[in-house]
Amino acid sequence: MFGLTGLAATAWAADPPDSRDFFEKRVRPVFARNCLACHSATRMGGLDMASREGLLKGGTSGPSIIPGNANQSLLIQAVSHQHEKIRMPLQQARLADDQISDLVEWVKAGAFWPEPVAAPAASATAKYTITPEQRAFWSLQPVRKPAPPAVKNAAWAKTDIDRFLLAKMEGKGAGPVEAADRRTLARRVYYDLIGLPPTARQIDEFVNDTAPDAWAKLVDRLLASPRYGERWGRYWLDLARYSDDRLESEVDAPYANAFRYRDWVIRSFNQDLPFDLFVKAQIAGDLLEVDTAKQQNLAAGLGFYGLRPDTQDDRVDATGRVFLGLTTGCAQCHNHKFDPIPTTDYYALQGVFESTENAEIPLAPEAIVKEYQAREKAANDKKLQIRDFLHAQAQQLAEMLAQQTVRYIAAVRANPGADLKTVASREQLDVETLDRWAKYLARGEWEHPFLRDWKSPNFDAARFQSDVLAVWKERKTVDDENTFRRTEAKKKGPKAVFEPTSLKTESFYLWRDLFFNDFYGNQFKQEDDGLLYYGPNRGYLESDGAIERFLLGGWKDHLERLRAEAKELRALVPPQYAFLHGIKDSAKPKTERVQIGGKPENLGEEVPRRFLTALCEGDPALFQQGSGRLELAEAIANAKNPLTARVMANRIWHHHFGKGIVRTPSDFGFMGDRPSHPELLDYLAARLIESGWSMKAMHREILNSAVYQLSTVGAGPAADPNREIDPENRLLWRANMHRLDAEAMRDSLLAVTGELDTTAEGAPIAFADPKNVRRTVYGLVSRRKLDGTLALFDFPNANATSEKRSVTITPTQQLYFLNSEFLMERAKRLSERLTGGDDNAKLRSAYTSIFGRVPNEEETRLGLAFVRQGRERWPIYVQALLGSNEFMFVN
Amino acid sequence: MNRRQALQTIGNGFGMLGLCGMLAGAGQNPMAPRQPHFPAKAKRLIYLFLNGGPSQVDTFDPKPLLTKYNGQAIPPEFFKDEKFRKTAQNARLLGSPFAFKKCGQSGLEVSELFPQLGRRIDDVCVVRSMHTDLPAHPQAITQMSSGRLIAGFPSIGSWIAYGIGSENQNLPGFIAMCPGTPNVGAELWSSGFLPASYQGTYVPCDEHDAEKMIQNLRNTRIGRDDQRQQLELTQLLNRLDVARRGADPMLEGRIHAMETAFNMQVEAMDAFDVSRETQAMRERYGVPERPPEMNTKMRSATRDGDFARGCLIARRLVERGVRVVQLYFGEDIPWDSHHDIMVHKKLAMQADQPIAALLTDLKASGLLDETLVVIGGEFGRTPSVEVTGRINVQNGRDHNHRGFTYLLAGGGVKGGIAHGATDDFGFAAAEQPVHLHDLHATILHQMGLDHKRLTYRQSGRDFRLTDVAGNVVREILT
Repeated sequence: MFGLTGLAATAWAADPPDSRDFFEKRVRPVFARNCLACHSATRMGGLDMASREGLLKGGTSGPSIIPGNANQSLLIQAVSHQHEKIRMPLQQARLADDQISDLVEWVKAGAFWPEPVAAPAASATAKYTITPEQRAFWSLQPVRKPAPPAVKNAAWAKTDIDRFLLAKMEGKGAGPVEAADRRTLARRVYYDLIGLPPTARQIDEFVNDTAPDAWAKLVDRLLASPRYGERWGRYWLDLARYSDDRLESEVDAPYANAFRYRDWVIRSFNQDLPFDLFVKAQIAGDLLEVDTAKQQNLAAGLGFYGLRPDTQDDRVDATGRVFLGLTTGCAQCHNHKFDPIPTTDYYALQGVFESTENAEIPLAPEAIVKEYQAREKAANDKKLQIRDFLHAQAQQLAEMLAQQTVRYIAAVRANPGADLKTVASREQLDVETLDRWAKYLARGEWEHPFLRDWKSPNFDAARFQSDVLAVWKERKTVDDENTFRRTEAKKKGPKAVFEPTSLKTESFYLWRDLFFNDFYGNQFKQEDDGLLYYGPNRGYLESDGAIERFLLGGWKDHLERLRAEAKELRALVPPQYAFLHGIKDSAKPKTERVQIGGKPENLGEEVPRRFLTALCEGDPALFQQGSGRLELAEAIANAKNPLTARVMANRIWHHHFGKGIVRTPSDFGFMGDRPSHPELLDYLAARLIESGWSMKAMHREILNSAVYQLSTVGAGPAADPNREIDPENRLLWRANMHRLDAEAMRDSLLAVTGELDTTAEGAPIAFADPKNVRRTVYGLVSRRKLDGTLALFDFPNANATSEKRSVTITPTQQLYFLNSEFLMERAKRLSERLTGGDDNAKLRSAYTSIFGRVPNEEETRLGLAFVRQGRERWPIYVQALLGSNEFMFVN
Repeated sequence: MNRRQALQTIGNGFGMLGLCGMLAGAGQNPMAPRQPHFPAKAKRLIYLFLNGGPSQVDTFDPKPLLTKYNGQAIPPEFFKDEKFRKTAQNARLLGSPFAFKKCGQSGLEVSELFPQLGRRIDDVCVVRSMHTDLPAHPQAITQMSSGRLIAGFPSIGSWIAYGIGSENQNLPGFIAMCPGTPNVGAELWSSGFLPASYQGTYVPCDEHDAEKMIQNLRNTRIGRDDQRQQLELTQLLNRLDVARRGADPMLEGRIHAMETAFNMQVEAMDAFDVSRETQAMRERYGVPERPPEMNTKMRSATRDGDFARGCLIARRLVERGVRVVQLYFGEDIPWDSHHDIMVHKKLAMQADQPIAALLTDLKASGLLDETLVVIGGEFGRTPSVEVTGRINVQNGRDHNHRGFTYLLAGGGVKGGIAHGATDDFGFAAAEQPVHLHDLHATILHQMGLDHKRLTYRQSGRDFRLTDVAGNVVREILT
């Protein structure tokens, strides 16, 4: 699309060389970089800026330029922000003053537009070219390691990170606030690295450790804790849209093995698996050759794709956003409007995924897998055999009962208001069937005419019975006939028309009322069974029906035998072997074709599997091995890839500070945020690679900086000039306050009451289970029905990749603190654990457990007044503390 | 020491009232009411979702030719274009078993399935030319909710709450009710990538007791007085905390939210408790004293009175200023009458009376003028008999996304008119077609929101409910 800029033919002649030069150097690049994404092929606002004609014609607001008259030209008014409504570029920073004055000069001089040098016909198949401007985009530049800048306040800076940040602050006239106190720091870093509050003893330990490396030791200790991976692995699971179940499942049955991916992610963080390998494992773990002595089964990483949402194909999109910070999904229907990603790139990657399929990778020997499958099949076959048997019996019974229609109707007619049990036993009829008939006849209104005059003395019950039997037979004939017709139609090919026959509508209504059943169905969820049907019905959630009591002698024995066999076979089925949700290469790799407009019926050119053009030098090499996954993985997890390390370094920064250097962590493209500290980001990315992609080294480097240890200040001096200069705190002159997220909140509640079970790994447990006192990361995460508490506290929707948590503060969240069983149970437990002989001591015990500190005088006074105001006040008091802001916010 | 005194003696010296005022200004409460883009005709939305796909030709879109050619193929002379021929040439027509009759002053035709709604038809705009993109339940229901066929996008209720907040801070601003769970489930009221405070609050309206409808609404252990004292203590400690840590919008936002939550307990308990209505009122809606026993295990079976209870609660909620109430008809896909269209009779019986009662009450109180009521499913049904799947060619109808009917009432929409039309048989929208994006654009427009300006920046671009489509259907607006 950008390439079309030069193609517009113009009638402009006699190029003055200066004008041409001025246009190419000072005007066209400005257009290309700022305007053409929206105002060329897309023609937003009706405006096409790819030619002089387009500008003269203008858009919905009129002509864009009046050559010679810059002030009256809409283009100039818009870019200089002098127009009352139109300010361009939309939602981006105003152009630089010299760029604007260049444009003014250009319009004044007559808006010269040079004749294109060569004008090949523009067509849909024109080769996509990436312009030099696009190549120059910041995030596509190679990562380089800049030297830290000089700073004035050199004594303050502890590390290079500090120097990058301080230089920027100093440049803007801002400066860091004082450092936070040690108590605050302890709480901050515990939550940050392991997601749990420090105990009072742990706080004291750090506060009293006078060694110069006390802080570094604390950081190391926390990084070595298995709790670290549970905290940081969960951030990755947000990106990986991890869930224990499927959106489309009909019942609340989670995958039995999804958690193996979750556990692998947690272990990988704990073991500090190099990030490049971590990425490769998720794309091509089955194809990696790794020394397996220490490494885990890297194929477990394939859960990233193997567990993807089942309602959509988000593989290219997730790959781009999660690993590269690129919105590749935008190029599915058209070339990316802003970033240099053509549709051909999208389908080149889609080809990789279309050449793979979902796979269950057994963690058991083949013999065990085979045995399980055979035994499971045998047990299931037997179950089906029983259902078929019951259905066949029910059909026969229905016919038999139909043959007794006269007797049932006579019994109903002769005994109005009588006890049906007595009648049935006297007349030797089935009492339930009699009851059903009585109710049916009492209805008095039917959609068929057969019973219209059943109350009249002339009603011919025998005639009605023969109608019933006729309709029974007719329906069978219709079914047989349709089965035949369908088979015949199928023989003629897939497009042959199948013309089924059917009962007459009035016959249908009679058939339905008496014989309908949903044995084969699963779509008819509102209809009741016919009154003569007693069999199993799949629409009825696996019921076996009431047929059994009609079975006699040999048939009953037969059923019992079948059931005994089924039970035996079921007992022989071993628990299913463990497996990994993964992917594997298809037998035959596929080459995709571009789907024009994203429509599968509108196919364009073929695109062989390969990596993204913008991330390759020259034409991308085609993938050669199978689906190409391994080559893709290596192209992504590559020190030369400008995005991978930058994106991950930024994600780590984002979680430590609450905001990234780039505030759109999964979009490093044109429409994403620009880095607040580009050199710092490059420095971090370079360090990440240098350290052998060690995430723990990255944490250390960040946490040991002075800037991490700043105070939040809160109110601070109101006149702090920092507030004027940088109210958003992008310069990081202070620390940001955090609200506990869903996991930290729940885990903390369990931790302060001493109940937290820190068992690691394993199958997920429902949150509704009152015995679930494990860390939240091990609870059941559902795509179908996310746990109410998780949803309340901004846990992400697992149907899409999530780059950051929203932080909301709502009344319904506070209802949780006021009333939830979970919270009140915690308050009760903790109040029972409070130690000390008197109220004063218990109060101290409560404060120490919950906040890791002793209460001050005022808090003591309030607390004592509260607990002495009535009986049974301690749990209520403890709940008040758990619901307080001091518990919920970390600074 | 009472609470007010306590608050005044501690902390910065401003009481809770002042704090609330300050916070509203600071925009800390995500549900605070906000100015729409332009003056709104409708302040509230009630969306009655008849999930499963109700049949248009048996309800509000009469097709005499269907009856005429019942059981036959479409005569060739009706194939006016190739597209229609392709869609319908193999169809075997199924005349509606239900009689239509002219209703109200407007004389709009309504089938005998909806006699009571028929009497209110002069307040209703019947859009007969709805169409959407896919005839499969999960995708179609998802698209009706979020404009997208796939999961992960904000629902219409979330967009509205995000746009203009809600008028009652003591109740959730967007409430999604269903007896049980509709097909697809919680994704339908998800806020997608919008902040989670805009997700719908799910309320199972097959429950009879209000306290079972909203999570954590009632305290089972602590009495009201104790709880009030507890809250006072928490808030005192929070003030001390602010004094120590310094003012922060998040700290103060939570103090405010805590206060609201305390009030919500009373207000929500009241709003959801239909036993506070007179018996006569409950009977008008068809809400039984106690829910009847269900003697079926069918997944989609609907119980008498559950949808009715939802309608009655919906009225109580909009009376209290709740912004969006979305009520699904029942578990999974009850209106999915593949096998036998007569099942519509039972469903319509459960739907007709409460919908009519709701419209009557809103009209009587004047609320209908500023409440938009939208009624419809994820698609309609074929005018022909079902022939797919197993051989069940008999009396049912298949899914049809190409043409179906929606009802709109109140909120600045013209009553007593029909808009658009399907073809002669009801297969596809033929005149003035209204795509679901158009419907969404129109709903937003009535709420004072320009669907092109209501955007959220996410993964590199501005997203909106209507994607890159949607036109406001101005013809139906007053």
